[in-house]
Amino acid sequence: MKASHAAFLRHFGGSTILFRQVISELFRPPLYFKLVVEQLYQVGVMSLPLVMVTAGSTGMVMALQFGLGLEKFGGKLYVPKIVSISILREMGPVFTCLMLAARVGAGMASEIGSMVVTQQIDAIRALGTSPIKKIVIPRVLACIIGIPILSVVANFIGIGGALLVCVNDLGVDPVFFVQKVLTTLYLPDFLSGFMKTPVFAGVIAVTACYFGLTVKGGTKGVGNATTMAVVVSSISILVGDYFLTKFYWVIEQWL
Amino acid sequence: MAIIDVKSFSKSFDGRPVHKNVTFSVQKGECLGLVGGSGIGKSVILRSLIGLEKGDSGEIWIEGEEISKLKERQLTPIRKKVAYVFQNGALFDSMTVYENLAYPLREHEKLEESEIRQRVKDQLDEFGLGDALKKLPAELSGGMQKRVGLARAMMIRPRVILYDEPTAGLDPYNTLKIREIVLALKKKGVTSVFVTHDMPTAVAVCDRFCLLADGRVADEARVEELATRQDSLLNQFIEGTAGG
Repeated sequence: MKASHAAFLRHFGGSTILFRQVISELFRPPLYFKLVVEQLYQVGVMSLPLVMVTAGSTGMVMALQFGLGLEKFGGKLYVPKIVSISILREMGPVFTCLMLAARVGAGMASEIGSMVVTQQIDAIRALGTSPIKKIVIPRVLACIIGIPILSVVANFIGIGGALLVCVNDLGVDPVFFVQKVLTTLYLPDFLSGFMKTPVFAGVIAVTACYFGLTVKGGTKGVGNATTMAVVVSSISILVGDYFLTKFYWVIEQWL
Repeated sequence: MAIIDVKSFSKSFDGRPVHKNVTFSVQKGECLGLVGGSGIGKSVILRSLIGLEKGDSGEIWIEGEEISKLKERQLTPIRKKVAYVFQNGALFDSMTVYENLAYPLREHEKLEESEIRQRVKDQLDEFGLGDALKKLPAELSGGMQKRVGLARAMMIRPRVILYDEPTAGLDPYNTLKIREIVLALKKKGVTSVFVTHDMPTAVAVCDRFCLLADGRVADEARVEELATRQDSLLNQFIEGTAGG
């Protein structure tokens, strides 16, 4: 077996075991609510500017590109419809999660990795407490609560950005834009994007915690773990997005 | 009565055996010095005594309970009885000294915040760290960090303390401070295992020595016997004429 295959299996297996430990310890007291709130602040509030800039820029660029492209065929009036559906179903949730995989995932992996290197994780264990409860569960819960909320914010900001460009650059009437958006979008459009985010959030948090907790080799190891956490969670989001899209599409057809 | 009993303990890393057949015991109130050359695996044994490391085979008994097969959650009662003093203190760097010392109390004892504050203050005063209450670990010297680590380990009054090179890298003043603290704890009847390369301190605080070499206990003697065993491996190691 190639070393890269073995590493993949080791990481996949390790993350799965960590996830199972999180589930088994989640329902066993105590739950460190204060730590969850602290992490929620880090994940949610502190990521807000990045998410807003990313979503706003995405919405604006999409509106501009679609506007310029569709204008040639007289289809400029379809821009609100296309952009809003794209943002709600894909761009909002996926771009939010990718940005957070970088910001939050890197932060978590390096913080936990540093704690491993300086024996703070060992100290948590030696003092009779669980690193899963103290470190991992607050981060996983904060991501699962915070990232879906951020994706909703991203949806609004993205559509708002598209509205700005449509009105200012493409000459679309703002009332027409809002009307089109409201008559085009249905709950399944929102849900098919929104429902992906808790899954991606779990992937980001568990992957980051796994790579952080398995750091070896001092500061260089912390750097490697941080890189791996971002790369693995980003790839997982991109690959998982296809399967989740297909899954929700099948459910939509079924309903 | 043996508080700690290690029987035929073996451990290897990546196929390389570090311990092949380590056997020793520590009596109640005794301070055992675990000595040996660098990389011989003294810290591995110490970590195994509290379940931070799992051996490949053998048994580790703490106060009559075999702990080597216990799961992480089952080790919590053992870790309340046995404290570990890390080489670099291992303080939580995002917490103040107060928060670090309050941590074990908040986890294991149901106390009012005022009681926690009083206990932490008393402990810091006892360890000569009264001024450090609101400081972050990064603002402390190495010696102070180690003393805070020791103070934190003592917060829930353990019956056994495992010291992992508590005086490594310290100046004579801080070494003496640590030595005084260890002796004071010993007077209170705390059982301890002392891993160190600092032989003057080890001779001052330990009742008995075990020399680790070739993955086993190569020599063993009480401190008062050392003078009469001039050619023993332990004497050679302590005097620096053998590497251990």
